[in-house]
Amino acid sequence: MRSSPRAEARSGKEGKPRRGLPLLFVRIRRGEGLAAFGFLSLGLILIALFVIYPSVRTLWLSLFDKDGFAGISNFVELFRDREIVDFGRFLRREPPWGALLHNLVWIAVHLPFTVGLGLVLAVAFSKVKAWWVGLARGAIYLGIVTPLIVGGVIIRFLFEKHAGLVPQILGALGAGTPWSAGWTAYPETALLALIIGSIWLWTGFSMVLHSAGLSTIDRELYEAAQIDGASEWAQFRHITLPLLRPVTLVVAAMTFLWELKIFDIVYVATMGGPGGASNVLALEMYFSAFRELDPYRASAIATLITLFSLPVGYWFAKRRLGR
Amino acid sequence: MRNLWRVFGVLALLTAFSLGAWAEKLVVIAPWSGAEADPFVAVLEAFKEKTGIDYEYRVMRSEDLGKVLPAQFAVGMTPGDVLFTAWGWWVKEFADHMVDLSAEVADVPFGFLTPISVEGKVVGIPYAVWVKPGFWYRKSFFEAHDLRAPSSWEDFMALLARIKAIPGVEDAAASGDEVGWPLSDTVEHFILAYGGVNMFLGLTEGTIKWESPEVRAIFTEHIVPYLEYASEPIEWTAAKDLWWEGKYGIYFMGNWITGMVDDPADLGVFALPGAKAVTGGTDYIFVPKYSKQVEAAKKLVAFLMSKEGQEIRAKGGGKLAIRTDVSPDAYPPAERALIKALQGFVIVPDMDDTIGGEWQAAFWDQLKLLWVKPEALDDVLRVLDEKFPQG
Repeated sequence: MRSSPRAEARSGKEGKPRRGLPLLFVRIRRGEGLAAFGFLSLGLILIALFVIYPSVRTLWLSLFDKDGFAGISNFVELFRDREIVDFGRFLRREPPWGALLHNLVWIAVHLPFTVGLGLVLAVAFSKVKAWWVGLARGAIYLGIVTPLIVGGVIIRFLFEKHAGLVPQILGALGAGTPWSAGWTAYPETALLALIIGSIWLWTGFSMVLHSAGLSTIDRELYEAAQIDGASEWAQFRHITLPLLRPVTLVVAAMTFLWELKIFDIVYVATMGGPGGASNVLALEMYFSAFRELDPYRASAIATLITLFSLPVGYWFAKRRLGR
Repeated sequence: MRNLWRVFGVLALLTAFSLGAWAEKLVVIAPWSGAEADPFVAVLEAFKEKTGIDYEYRVMRSEDLGKVLPAQFAVGMTPGDVLFTAWGWWVKEFADHMVDLSAEVADVPFGFLTPISVEGKVVGIPYAVWVKPGFWYRKSFFEAHDLRAPSSWEDFMALLARIKAIPGVEDAAASGDEVGWPLSDTVEHFILAYGGVNMFLGLTEGTIKWESPEVRAIFTEHIVPYLEYASEPIEWTAAKDLWWEGKYGIYFMGNWITGMVDDPADLGVFALPGAKAVTGGTDYIFVPKYSKQVEAAKKLVAFLMSKEGQEIRAKGGGKLAIRTDVSPDAYPPAERALIKALQGFVIVPDMDDTIGGEWQAAFWDQLKLLWVKPEALDDVLRVLDEKFPQG
């Protein structure tokens, strides 16, 4: 079997590693580097124009206020602002807790649910051979192809007192206000309604990726396990779960980034209310930019969101490059 | 290959033709859609017939324009030629990007709402007026249950209690919600009724604090007791349907509701007992200076503000003319009755539309909280003071 040039270089077969152009994390030969830059140039120009320049400009703006250079004071102000973080109310479990904490709660609840539910559904559907499986898969996947604006409207009506299925069912079961009322109207339930709605919207993504991952697992592994007398649970735990780990990690990373920048459904369903009880960072950024007409605070919030997403983005990029 | 070139040729011709046709049309952007837009489209049609200038009507709300226009203006572009927004404060903020429309309104007799002027330039013109006269009810519902409009605060509370006791009624008053604005209208009406015009204007200008004892008293003595009989916030068009079906007895809303119900003749309205003023507002017309058809746009603005244009709009109902020289005879019966009911009332500009910005969003949002958690009153008032624009 032929080993790759990089493996050869590492193992010392070619003496010392070749000198070449450093391209992000990978060292490649000079000729290949020029060709690579040639192929990448259009993409790089577009990325520079539409990603790097706006990002740098946003970071730059976040260091100013209307009077001039402000250093990191915009960020300090953000963390002092009760609309961003209110630990006191969080500890007393009285919403609102601030946009940042709402985002973190969103991640804490939504991430395990969507990743777990998508995995369970993918495994369950792979075991069942029936005519309705495709239909059910399609129905679950509908959430991910539904525009988030439409999703927000659906969530609003799903939890509405008169038209909403959820309060009606809970009301019939004897639940009191706010569970049997409009969830999005009450501070105790508004954020929860959005999170539950977003689980419905995003589970399809997790399910489809896990289904794709399942199809790559060699069936012989299961057959061998069955011959050895392994139970379904043991097969799931020792074969499915470890072999799906790369897919699960990608799903988790993508879900984390999605949760961090969540905006549309909050904007449509609750506008962050009532009383800021379902506000999130992206909506707070919108309010600053388009309501307060304060590009500096908005840029600081945008930078904050980027900073939170950077570790995951970095890990993801490294993973894609096989490091 | 020759066929391919032919197809390209036809496509190029079609593209050029459609671009040409598009370029000639005056793009008008306003927030009204469906039946609400019909009376306005009738004015545009009359303009087209008179001048031969074709138009394209697009629907965008103030919130949507607020997101799109800053970026467009920054690069010297505009999505339309004649635009409408309810946000007068926003037009002021972006006055540098607007065409001066002084000549188009030089002879217009305005009422309580006047054009927005910045540095001697008229940059925003109030178009059709809406008012929020008070609580609407179905005459048939009131007759069936032997109810009548209240003449004192005690009467009002007794009315609420009687409505609530009617079998099948969920709450006495429906609370419409659309990101919170119908709730803000209700609160403004209470302030006008029990605090008066001076308090209202003081709160609008920031000279009176929300946490001041006299303002707080209006909440504790009037608004919070009212909330015991009011529904939780419900999407406002759904609330209108539920109220019309009899699940609620009264509904606070602007006069555009006359165009949204099956039988406007069955509508009755009363202001809170003691009220001598009601709020009103408008959508402001503006023409971005980046329009490629400024002269045609100005012609349309002049027509919209002319007596002829205003009378066509008035005939469609749902809004009142901005010109004071439009006769009540120009309106449908529901608006004529409203004009009669408003005799003796002062009309003041809507508070949150005047202040605008972040405070407006906070006002809406905090009232949504107050509606379901009246015990949060002190927090709500504190936030309203904290968020009030400085300077």
